[in-house]
Amino acid sequence: MVIIETFGLSRKFGKTTAVEDVTLSVEAGEVLGFLGPNGAGKTTTIRMLAGMIAPTKGHAIVAGHRTDRDVEQLHEIVGMLTQTPGLYDQLSARRNLEYFAGFYPSIESQSQVEKYLKLMGLRERQDSKVGTFSKGMKQRLALARALVHEPKVLFLDEPTAGLDPEAAGEVRQLIRTLREEGRTIFLSTHNLNEAEMLSSRIAVIHTRLLALDTPEQLRRRFFRRQIIVQLEASDAGVMEVVKRLPFVQEIHEEGSQLVLELADSERNRPELVKAIVEAGGRVIAVSEKQYPLEEVYLKLLREENQNES
Amino acid sequence: MSRRRIRNILLKEWVLLFTDLNSAFVITLLPFLVVGQGILYIWLAFRFGGESMLTTSVFQTALQKLTEAIPGVAQLPGNEQLLVLLISQFNLFLLLIPTMIAMSVATFSIVDEKLSGSLEALLATPVKTWELLLGKALAGAIPALAMTWISAGVFLLAVSGLGWGDLTGFVVTAGWFLTLFLLTPAVAILSFMLGVTGSSRAKDPRGAQNTALLIILPVFTLIGIQITGIVWFTPLLILVLALAVIIADFISLRAAVRLFRRESIIVQWR
Repeated sequence: MVIIETFGLSRKFGKTTAVEDVTLSVEAGEVLGFLGPNGAGKTTTIRMLAGMIAPTKGHAIVAGHRTDRDVEQLHEIVGMLTQTPGLYDQLSARRNLEYFAGFYPSIESQSQVEKYLKLMGLRERQDSKVGTFSKGMKQRLALARALVHEPKVLFLDEPTAGLDPEAAGEVRQLIRTLREEGRTIFLSTHNLNEAEMLSSRIAVIHTRLLALDTPEQLRRRFFRRQIIVQLEASDAGVMEVVKRLPFVQEIHEEGSQLVLELADSERNRPELVKAIVEAGGRVIAVSEKQYPLEEVYLKLLREENQNES
Repeated sequence: MSRRRIRNILLKEWVLLFTDLNSAFVITLLPFLVVGQGILYIWLAFRFGGESMLTTSVFQTALQKLTEAIPGVAQLPGNEQLLVLLISQFNLFLLLIPTMIAMSVATFSIVDEKLSGSLEALLATPVKTWELLLGKALAGAIPALAMTWISAGVFLLAVSGLGWGDLTGFVVTAGWFLTLFLLTPAVAILSFMLGVTGSSRAKDPRGAQNTALLIILPVFTLIGIQITGIVWFTPLLILVLALAVIIADFISLRAAVRLFRRESIIVQWR
């Protein structure tokens, strides 16, 4: 079931176009990684989807509500983690949560506050002033705030930005937990590893939507699937035999490794290994060449820059 | 639901207000400074100005208006007439308390949230603009009002303590009560609404404070009008004035909601 749908969503600020013609859809229970460089329109898109600002063109529907018309109803069913934690430093963690929970008519505040203080590992510090918290703790509390009313859709705007690796890891673990609970999460980030680790699909935006697919399919778009056969030692005889195999489409050597493209990389793999062993080659490992998502991302941005120029 | 949300805002604001030393100081001590200053001016005028002040045309006119409103004052000796005239000004002087507290507290209420980033999180909840603004205005206006009433009591005690207790019968009139319990609440709400509106439109705390200066001017005007004898605020006049301010309260709330631009606040503030 589609829970987020945008139709040519655009937003201008004066003469500057922040977001242009973004059309996408997100399934319920999906985590969509929303990638883009600084100023690419990630936050503006999230703000439009969360009903915080209106689009100048196009529209979006989130959980059945037009984001530019049904703002109040929308705010009852979406949760938003803004770029800054936006908490009250002078109040305790519990009081912060109670305050925000107090705006939702449909929840039992106390039990919800209790639940999320526990989930975020903040129960022991619940009565401490937030001003005494570390950045990571503040971010966990802000995440609790975004979740306290059990939103159908959660918008996370760069949830690990500015956190140290340990705190960022804690926040990612919490997002994983939420993903396992089947929540729909729209995750804006410019951390490629984070996007790949947490998301089922990735959207790349640079004012316009450049790509939207699974990380694997995005890789395929730019890189063909390659198999790496690690041999004990380089062997010209083995190379000759492998070259003649009908399903080998391309082959080159990198030291004691053979890098190949096969007609069907799944099915042809056993035959390939058999042929190498029969030719006297000693196989240490067979693996698939991994292209970092970063390369895909940079290629997409380069393409976009070329199109613009 | 609106009542629950407004109450929610009120309680949070009060915790923040009284855990912030500056705000707590302004709310608790400033009213007593106003009372102290009022008493001091009256004592100085009485002690050193004496009956000679009554010969000035300004006071002559004011005294004439006062005796028209409260004929019994005419039977008093000159120096006591002067005292009644001066003490009578204090009910309007009390209006300075909520307006000054509003200047100090309300003007920062939105700007502070903008700067800390909590406003964006707050605006992502289903809270309505009017609930937010009214909650913030009431959060300041209620303690300011309570302090104004306490100050009025303290003032009357001080007047008695200085040996002028017999004269309070000429001062604590229907007009005094109307000012204290109708005009002052209306002015308090108006001051805080204007303060909150200024705060939501200001680009920085300094801008908010500059806007706030405008709040206090009408109160000075009222005091000036009465003390110079241009108009003496009879109970009827105070009632009319209070009703006008109550109407202004509603207009200011509507205006505040219209002037509160969620988009610009979210987009332009970092």
